[in-house]
Amino acid sequence: MTTEPRPDDVSAPASEAAAGTSPGAPASGRFSRRAFLGAGLGGLAVGALGGAGGTAWARSDGSGSASAAASESPETAYAFYDQVHQAGIQTPQQHHAIFVSYDLTTTDASDLQVLLARWSAAISELQRGQSLGAVQPSHANAVPTDTGEAADLGPNGLTVTIGLGPGVFDHRFGLAEHKPAKFADLPQLPSDQLEKSLTGGDLSLQACAEDPQVAYHAIRDLSRMAQGTAVVRWTVMGFGRASAGKGQTTPRNLMGFKDGTRNIKDDADFQRFVWHDGVDQAWMKGGTYQVARKIQMHIENWDTDYIGDQQNVFGRSKQEGAPLSGTRELDVPDFARKGADGDPAIPATSHVALAAHENNGGLKILRRSYNFTDGMNADGQINAGLLFIAYMNDPAAFVTLQTKLGRVDRLNEYIAHVGSGVFAVPPAPVSGSYVGEALFR
Amino acid sequence: MQSHPTRRTRTVRATAGLAGLAGAIALVAAGCSSSSGDTTDPSPSASGGATHVDVTLTSAGGGDACQVSTSSVPAGPVTFTVTNKDSAAITEVELLSGDRIVGEKENLAPGLAPVSFTVTLGGGKYQVYCPGAQTDTTDLTVTGEAATPTGGVQDVLAQGTKTYGTYVDGQVADMVTAVKALQAAVDSGDLEAAQKAYADARPFYEKVESDVEGFVLPGSDPTDNKGNLDYLIDMRASNLDPAVGWHGFHAVERDLFEKKAITGSTKKLAAELTKNVDQLSSLAKGLSYKPEDLANGAAGLLEEVQANKIKGEEEKYSHLDLVDFAANVEGAEQAFANLEPGLEQIDPDLTKQVATQFANVKTTLKDYEDPSALGGYKTWTPELRKADAAKLSQAIQALQQPLSKIAEKVATAQ
Repeated sequence: MTTEPRPDDVSAPASEAAAGTSPGAPASGRFSRRAFLGAGLGGLAVGALGGAGGTAWARSDGSGSASAAASESPETAYAFYDQVHQAGIQTPQQHHAIFVSYDLTTTDASDLQVLLARWSAAISELQRGQSLGAVQPSHANAVPTDTGEAADLGPNGLTVTIGLGPGVFDHRFGLAEHKPAKFADLPQLPSDQLEKSLTGGDLSLQACAEDPQVAYHAIRDLSRMAQGTAVVRWTVMGFGRASAGKGQTTPRNLMGFKDGTRNIKDDADFQRFVWHDGVDQAWMKGGTYQVARKIQMHIENWDTDYIGDQQNVFGRSKQEGAPLSGTRELDVPDFARKGADGDPAIPATSHVALAAHENNGGLKILRRSYNFTDGMNADGQINAGLLFIAYMNDPAAFVTLQTKLGRVDRLNEYIAHVGSGVFAVPPAPVSGSYVGEALFR
Repeated sequence: MQSHPTRRTRTVRATAGLAGLAGAIALVAAGCSSSSGDTTDPSPSASGGATHVDVTLTSAGGGDACQVSTSSVPAGPVTFTVTNKDSAAITEVELLSGDRIVGEKENLAPGLAPVSFTVTLGGGKYQVYCPGAQTDTTDLTVTGEAATPTGGVQDVLAQGTKTYGTYVDGQVADMVTAVKALQAAVDSGDLEAAQKAYADARPFYEKVESDVEGFVLPGSDPTDNKGNLDYLIDMRASNLDPAVGWHGFHAVERDLFEKKAITGSTKKLAAELTKNVDQLSSLAKGLSYKPEDLANGAAGLLEEVQANKIKGEEEKYSHLDLVDFAANVEGAEQAFANLEPGLEQIDPDLTKQVATQFANVKTTLKDYEDPSALGGYKTWTPELRKADAAKLSQAIQALQQPLSKIAEKVATAQ
C-alpha cells in the first residue's frame, strides 16, 4: 500500500496564501511561489533560525515579531548550498514529512551523478519556494515541468534531505572504495517484523515542511525527475511531528505520550553524536547517518490498556510527561528511585529506562520522527504508527539501542517495526556542486 | 574526439548514459574542446572548422543568468558549449530560430561537466533561450548566407506523418477483417474458435485507438453514447452507460469468457460490432496527421496502458490485458518511429532516451510472451498482476516521462 506517494494520502489545509493563479497569470516561465506570497508583504528579513543546521530566511510582515514559531511561518525558507550540513536534520522540526526510499534501476554511475545533481539543483529551488520550471508552458503541446500543486504556497520551511543507501557502494557503480567502514544494511534486530517491500533502498529523500502539500509536491516532482533512473521502493507520509527539537514544545505520538523530551538539542551533542568527522571517509565530514523505521502501532490494543500500564510501558506520566520518578516533564529521570512497592518507580523494562543515555554508556541519537496513518489494514485494524527517523554518526548507535529495546521493551507488545532503511547523508554541497559530488571525483 | 578517456576521474556530460551520439547534430564530448580558454575572448573562436560559443549559467545576486560569449557568429558549423557554473534554476538551454528549436541541451545542473552541441547555421537571427534565467533570451546573429530553405526537419516530419497515416489505415483494415472473422466464429457456435478469434481481433483497435476514438456516427449527438463509435466498439464494464447498455468487443468478451456461451444475443453483438468497425473504417480512412498528433497519440496509448491494462480492467473476463498492452506499446512505438528521423535532428538526446525506454519496455514484455496462450501473452490473472504490476507500470512510467516531451518539440519545428 505504500509503494508510491498517493495523492489521496494528502489532506492539505486550505491555502493560507490568498493570492492564487489568476487567469491573467504569466502563461509561461517559472512561477515564483514567493512572488505570489510577496504581494502586499514587506521585504525580506534575514534571520538565522537554524543555527548550525542552516540559515533561514523568514520574511517579516514588518511587525518585528520574531518568536520561536518564526520557523513555522509559510514564508520560512532554508538555504541549500554553502551550508555545513544538509537541512532537515538540525533544522527546527517541521510539522509534516514524507519519507521515500528508492531503488536505483540504472547501473550507470553517470546516471546516478545526473540524478544527484538535478535533485540538488531542484531542491535548492524548491526550498526557496520556486517552482521547477513552467507550471503553465506557453506552447499548447508542452508538458508542464512543474506539477503545480504548490504553485501558490510559500516555501513553508521545506527541507529535502538526500541519503545514499548501502547499495550505492556495491558493485554497480564503482564506488566501493568510498564506502564508510561502519556503513552496511542494518542487521536483523530482536522483534523486527520487517516487510521486504518496506525495507532497504538505494536512495532516500526526507521532505519536511509546515504545509503537507509543499512536502508532497517536492517528493512528487523529484520522483518524476528520477523516472528511468530510480523507482520508489517505499514511502511513508508523516502528518505530525513526534519529536521535539530545540525550543519546541514536546509533541505527542499516536499513543498519546510526549515524545522526544530528552532529544538531542544542543550543538555540543550534535557534534558528539550526530555529525560525522570525516575520519574514515573525508566525503562524509559534516554528514551523518539516517535510520528510518516504519513502526506499526497496535492502536486498538493500546486504546484498551489501562493508564497504569500505559505509563509503566513508557516510564512517564501521560498528561505531564514526567518521568515516573518525578513530577515535571523536564525532571531528570531517577532510575534508582523506588516506588511505594519497593520496585523502581520507572520500571527497568520501560521504554524510557531502556533508551536513556544514563543506561547506555551515554549514547544518544537525534530523533526526528513523525506520526503516520495509512487508513485501515487488511485485517480490519487501524494502520498507523510512528515514522521513526533518527540521525547519528555511527549506525551502530541505533543497533545498540534497538537490540536492547527489541529484547525486553514493554512497548513491544503494542508496536512492530515493519519497515527499515539506513542511509549515509552527505554534507551540504557548495554552490556549483551537488550532494555526493565528492564521490565521483 | 575524446582526448582524455574517462579514468578514475568521472566527468560526464549532463545527459551521459541517456544521450546518443547520432543524427545531424553532432554532440561533442565534454572536455575535448580546444576552446576552453576562449571564454576570455569576447569574439567567437573557430577551430576544427566550427565556431565556438560558450553559454555560461550562473547564479547572480539578483537572479540566475545565462551568459552567451558572443552576439554574432559567421554562418557554418557552430559548437555551443554549455557550462552550468552554479545556476540551480536553469536546467536547459535551447537555440531557437523564432519558435523553432534548432538545438538544445537538457538535464543541466551545477556540478556536472560542460556539454556541447554543434549545429550548422545559415545567416539570420537566432536566440539562445535559457528558461529560468532572469533574462532568458539572448539574441545571436549569424552573418553570411542564409540557409537554403530545404524544409529539412519539417519535410522529414511530414513524411513521417504520411507513413504513419498509412500504418493507421492498414491497422483499421486489418481490424475489419479480424472482426469479420470473429463474427464468423461466433456464428459457427464454436466457443473455443470464437475465443481465439476474439484474441486475434483485439490488438488492432488498441494500436491506433488514440487516432480513431473520436468518431461519432454521422448526425449523432456527441454527448450521447448511442452514437459514439468508441463506446459502441470498445466500452467496458467500468464505463458502462446504463442508458446505452452493452455493445462491442467487451460485450462479446463477456459472453465468450464469463458466460462461456454463445447465444443469439452474442451473435447480434458480433454482427453489430462488424457494422460499427466498418463505419469507423470509412470515417477514419485517409486521415492526415500533424507531427504533434503522433506524439500526443503515442502518449495517449501509454496512458491507456497505465489506466486500463495494468489494472486488468480492459479485459475483465478474458484477462487478455497483456495482449492489449503490447498492442498499445506497438502503436505508440510506430508513432514514435515515424517521428524519429525528424526528432533526431531536433533533439538527439531525447530521441535516444525514448528509444532506450521503448527497448526496455519491450524487453520487459518479452518475459510475458507465451505462444500457447490466447493472443500470445500470459493471462493477466489477479495473481500475476499482484506480483508484476508494479514492475510493468514503472517501465511504462520511465517511457512516459521522456515521450511526453516530444509533442512540443515536433510542434514547434513547424
